[in-house]
Amino acid sequence: MISVAVSFLISPFRAVASLLLFSLFCSISFGASERNARVVFSELILAEKLDQQVLLQELSNYGDPAIANIYEAWRTGGIFILTDADAVRLLQFTDEQWSLVATGEAVTLSEVEVEVAEKTRASRSVRKQMKGLLDTLGLKADDPNVRINSAIKMGRSLKPEFVPALESRLEVEAADEVRAAIREALAISLLENGDAAEKLASVEELAELKSVASRGFIEKVLEAEVTAGRAESPLAIASSTTLRTIAEHMNLMEFLSSFFRGFSTGSVLLIVSFGLAITFGLMGIINMAHGEFVAIGGYTTYMVQTFFINTWGLSSEAFGWYFVISLPLSFLVAAGFGLVLEKSIIRFLYRRPLESLLCTWGISMVMQQCFRLIFGAANVQVNNPTWLMGNLSFGGFNMSYTRLFIMFIALVVVLLTWLLLRKTNLGLHIRAVMQNRGMASSLGIPVARVNSMTFALGCGLAALGGSVLSQIGNVGPLMGQQYIVDSFMVVVIGSVGNLLGAGLSAMGIGLVDQLLQPALGPVMGKITVFFVIILFLQWRPGGLFPARSRSLDD
Amino acid sequence: MIKFKNVYTMLSTETKKEAGIFCIVAALLMLIPGLNAWGPESGLLSVSSFQVSLWGKYLTYAILAMSLNLLWGYTGLLCLCQSLFFALGGYAMGMYLMLAIGDASGAERALPDFMVFMGYQDLPSHWKPFDSFWFASGAVLWVPGLVALIFGILAFRSRIKGVYFSILTQALTYAVCLLFFRNDFTFGGNNGFTDFKEILGHSINDPSTTRWLYIGSALLLLFTYLITSGLLASKLGKVQQAIRDSENRVLFSGYSTTSFKLVIFTLSAMIAGAAGALYVPQVGGINPSLMETGKSLEVVVWVAVGGRGTKWGPVIGAILVNLFKSYTTQAFPDYWLIMMGGMFVFVVLVMPNGIVGVYQQVKASIAQKRSLQTAEA
Repeated sequence: MISVAVSFLISPFRAVASLLLFSLFCSISFGASERNARVVFSELILAEKLDQQVLLQELSNYGDPAIANIYEAWRTGGIFILTDADAVRLLQFTDEQWSLVATGEAVTLSEVEVEVAEKTRASRSVRKQMKGLLDTLGLKADDPNVRINSAIKMGRSLKPEFVPALESRLEVEAADEVRAAIREALAISLLENGDAAEKLASVEELAELKSVASRGFIEKVLEAEVTAGRAESPLAIASSTTLRTIAEHMNLMEFLSSFFRGFSTGSVLLIVSFGLAITFGLMGIINMAHGEFVAIGGYTTYMVQTFFINTWGLSSEAFGWYFVISLPLSFLVAAGFGLVLEKSIIRFLYRRPLESLLCTWGISMVMQQCFRLIFGAANVQVNNPTWLMGNLSFGGFNMSYTRLFIMFIALVVVLLTWLLLRKTNLGLHIRAVMQNRGMASSLGIPVARVNSMTFALGCGLAALGGSVLSQIGNVGPLMGQQYIVDSFMVVVIGSVGNLLGAGLSAMGIGLVDQLLQPALGPVMGKITVFFVIILFLQWRPGGLFPARSRSLDD
Repeated sequence: MIKFKNVYTMLSTETKKEAGIFCIVAALLMLIPGLNAWGPESGLLSVSSFQVSLWGKYLTYAILAMSLNLLWGYTGLLCLCQSLFFALGGYAMGMYLMLAIGDASGAERALPDFMVFMGYQDLPSHWKPFDSFWFASGAVLWVPGLVALIFGILAFRSRIKGVYFSILTQALTYAVCLLFFRNDFTFGGNNGFTDFKEILGHSINDPSTTRWLYIGSALLLLFTYLITSGLLASKLGKVQQAIRDSENRVLFSGYSTTSFKLVIFTLSAMIAGAAGALYVPQVGGINPSLMETGKSLEVVVWVAVGGRGTKWGPVIGAILVNLFKSYTTQAFPDYWLIMMGGMFVFVVLVMPNGIVGVYQQVKASIAQKRSLQTAEA
């Protein structure tokens, strides 16, 4: 009451005006079909202290992020009341920009209007209540992920004052994942604040939820029980059982995600090594510059992205399309380069596989340095399009869209390559040349052209791999180098010239690599894979599917 | 004296020519330390200690190239782990040199610096014997030899040859290189070994030490040449070259190509290891980047540029390519990779027999032109 009286004394006009305005606003907004968070907030700003309580209560039903924004402006003196002859407007001034609080529309004010606009600030009691409201704002957000994060944060803070908010949300929450997060948060909070029975119930609840986040809290409870000399109490026993359940669950998840990562690593390897399997297996050319063609793919993606950002901006709708466009473009650019390279240099080396290795290594040095001169020695930044961000969750097991997309692309690549080799004329020619160059030539197959096309195809596939890689790794002059040794392995294991073998061995190497990594670390994992490969070749020297031939190879 | 004369007349002109070249090369090699020790202080004929160790480094490269030539030039095995053997030899010698630092400072078996940083209390047991120079010198030979033997048995037994052999050896290099980059592998991780103080009680920066290391490299080079020549003249060498030309025919003739290849592979690894051991004290350090996959390919390029399957080609190639490299890295820091790469492409396309083969190539093409002209006339 005192504050109202004080405010009357300081500015009687303002108090009267706000009273009038309040009724005016009420009549307008009540007349409108829908009351939203902005309207309620406007009323709150203009309301009397007594009415504020009701309005705050009402405001707490909304999860609009605008509430936080407006409140921040209000607290820091960015909310103004502008009284015109015919209307009263509530305005927000943030970032040098005026907007209407009630609708969020941007408006421009004349200089006179700016001068007569009166600043308003939140009172202390409102500030105090708003704080609690803002803390639980995330629980009511439209985005379920925001709700989940907010619930987890509230649970971890262990503050008892959040419990009512969480409980009331649990009653109305419809989404299962959010419900689980709220239950988890409540249980964690009760572990700290509840009595013995509540603690026991929480621990059991957490076991049911397989809550990884709660491990530390349960351990604390268990420790407290043990130090209190109650190591055999039901709570202690339940705690250790829960911890074990959670640990088992984590192991399973770890295994599943290694498996998933293995498949996606294998997919990248597959795309990269398919190109190699074609140039190396079908043509007998060891293309040491294959890694640089991977980098061409990465850089093409980078350039397409830069073009999109410069033309439409990073946050535009159009930006999402850049990756879709850069995939085929990378293929075409690299295939073009490959074609030129084949015509100018590679075609002289078909009978000298070991020398092709040296020559293409020289080419790879030249290309690497060209990348450095054009794009700089440091890695360049390639952003994920928004539609590839996020995860597909599956019972607590997350699969990122990027990696799922990579698997999809790998599948498409396998399918298209198979169709090309089996169902088209070019494929028929490629296979004929691969089986017997001289015989194919004498049967009228244009061997030189087939060679060019095959080499271009292999380079294009490498670049496709590079484009895909840009989404999960770095794009730089040396980006292809780290895959080149693995890719050669894939080709050797999968039997040279056999695409099915290459596919299987890529997946196999990817899986073994990722499954070994948690236990051995990345380096020892790689080394183990290498020795496994050497031993595998003792058993099957020709790879998975050795070509059958009665001819001797020299 | 009479006996010697008899032997001399028994030699063919070819052998006499080779012996002559050998003597000229030996004399040229000894010119550098000679001028360094007794030559003028300045002027055209003065040779600084820096230049002595630089040329010493080139000589170790040349030996490395010769060891690869033994495999690639004469046996047809394109091995991409030659720099690995080189580095293994280097590491073995480096271990001795690291421990010698402690001796120099007078401490009782001081730990190398990087071990102190890693928190080691005591020297790991596999380091202890390297306190002795002679043990280290032995390890320089048997460590690369053993690695080659084991890998060779696995590879040759399952008839891995040609390109597949190259790829597998490259993967081996890659795997071991990753291993040496690890800090907990007790070999200094990323930084490797450096800051050597003395070798066999002599300061490593002393001009006379530099000279002796150079002379050691030159002698090893000449020795390697003699081994190569002797090998080529022997039955082993004949089988070796037959394997290069047609392995299946050798196999069908009843020779076990596996064991022949194994012997050559192991021998070549040991030579590379010895070269590495001489390289490390002259360069003053070693780190795992020496065994990166690219380094092995560089060695292949030296051999290709000089001329594979020739006795002096690899030496010429190694020295010329490295001179070219050190010139271009200074003169064109932005473009030297492009120039080097371009040179490889050029050599492979235009000079398949290397520099040594250019003379033959030109002679052959002139002869061909002449015969065409006479045919037209």
